[in-house]
Amino acid sequence: MDEIKANSDSPISCLDTYARNPLILGLLVGVLVAVVQGLLISAGGPEAYGFCVACHTRDIANAAFNSVAGTKLPYAPISQNAILPVLTVIGVLIGAFISAKFYKEFKTKTASAGSYIWYLLGGLFFMVFALFMGGCPYRIAIRVGYGDVIAFIGLLAIIAGVLVGIKIATTMAEREE
Amino acid sequence: MVAVGWLSKNVAVIAVPIVTILFGILVGWLAQRSAFCSIGGFRDYFMWKQTRLLFGYLALIIGAFIGYLVFWLITPQAFEHFFWLLTSGLTPIPGAPAGLTVIGYVILAIIGGIAVGLIGVLLGGCPLRQVVMTSEGNVKALLFVVGMCIGAVVFTAWISGWTVALLKGLGIA
Repeated sequence: MDEIKANSDSPISCLDTYARNPLILGLLVGVLVAVVQGLLISAGGPEAYGFCVACHTRDIANAAFNSVAGTKLPYAPISQNAILPVLTVIGVLIGAFISAKFYKEFKTKTASAGSYIWYLLGGLFFMVFALFMGGCPYRIAIRVGYGDVIAFIGLLAIIAGVLVGIKIATTMAEREE
Repeated sequence: MVAVGWLSKNVAVIAVPIVTILFGILVGWLAQRSAFCSIGGFRDYFMWKQTRLLFGYLALIIGAFIGYLVFWLITPQAFEHFFWLLTSGLTPIPGAPAGLTVIGYVILAIIGGIAVGLIGVLLGGCPLRQVVMTSEGNVKALLFVVGMCIGAVVFTAWISGWTVALLKGLGIA
């Protein structure tokens, strides 16, 4: 630890050493989702909703769609009761953009039109299946921390899906060789 | 019974967007620096036995448990159903389509989980990583996020209702 501090020449690079460690994000965000629930649960449920990329995106997308198209698509009560839905994902976009710009890691990367279609469809189906189990892998994690057995089954299923995905990816790579 | 948090309802409804956007900015910064990814954690472990990202994800589960436990001890009324298994049994925390039996939720969790893991591996990242890569200027990731928004509307408008009807029709929910 002393070595890391000796090598870093400013408080910012010292802070960055910690920010680069996924353990810090895991523990800090884990504890903060509890703080977020403590602060905001009066606005409405569900519980263990502090951080979720799928559900929070759903809340924003449905709220936006409702106000544009005049529909009444349901979403989480906390977002329906509040003046604006949960904006976590917008925050992530802003935070990651500031960070990428600050560390000069922002770089526009384009790809082929075919891959864009795959990613668009991938995102669409990802969201559908994530909402089947009531959350992305992050809400699954915090639901497991909250004591939800169904979320734990979902976590095991994610691991199974990853293993199948690795198998498919390696088979495809071998065929190309 | 309505759960009571640290803020009164009148304040909380205004605080929701402010608190969540600030929290999101913190997560975005940390995730950009650490390249945090849940599905990437499992992938790196199974393919190369790298535990860096995996331990980050496990730390999230442990951190959430510790956080919920500590604040539940201080203000139990804000964490009404902690520890869920002991207060609510095998039912899931609301979020998946409502009105199913436990078996129905198990089936949805298994189908959803496998598909989420599969798509995540094939497209190189979980949703958080895709959102972060969007902010780093990756157009493919941006399309993924746009797809997620469309998927949300499609799911809520049609698929959710169809799924519940199908499971009930098959007699397993």
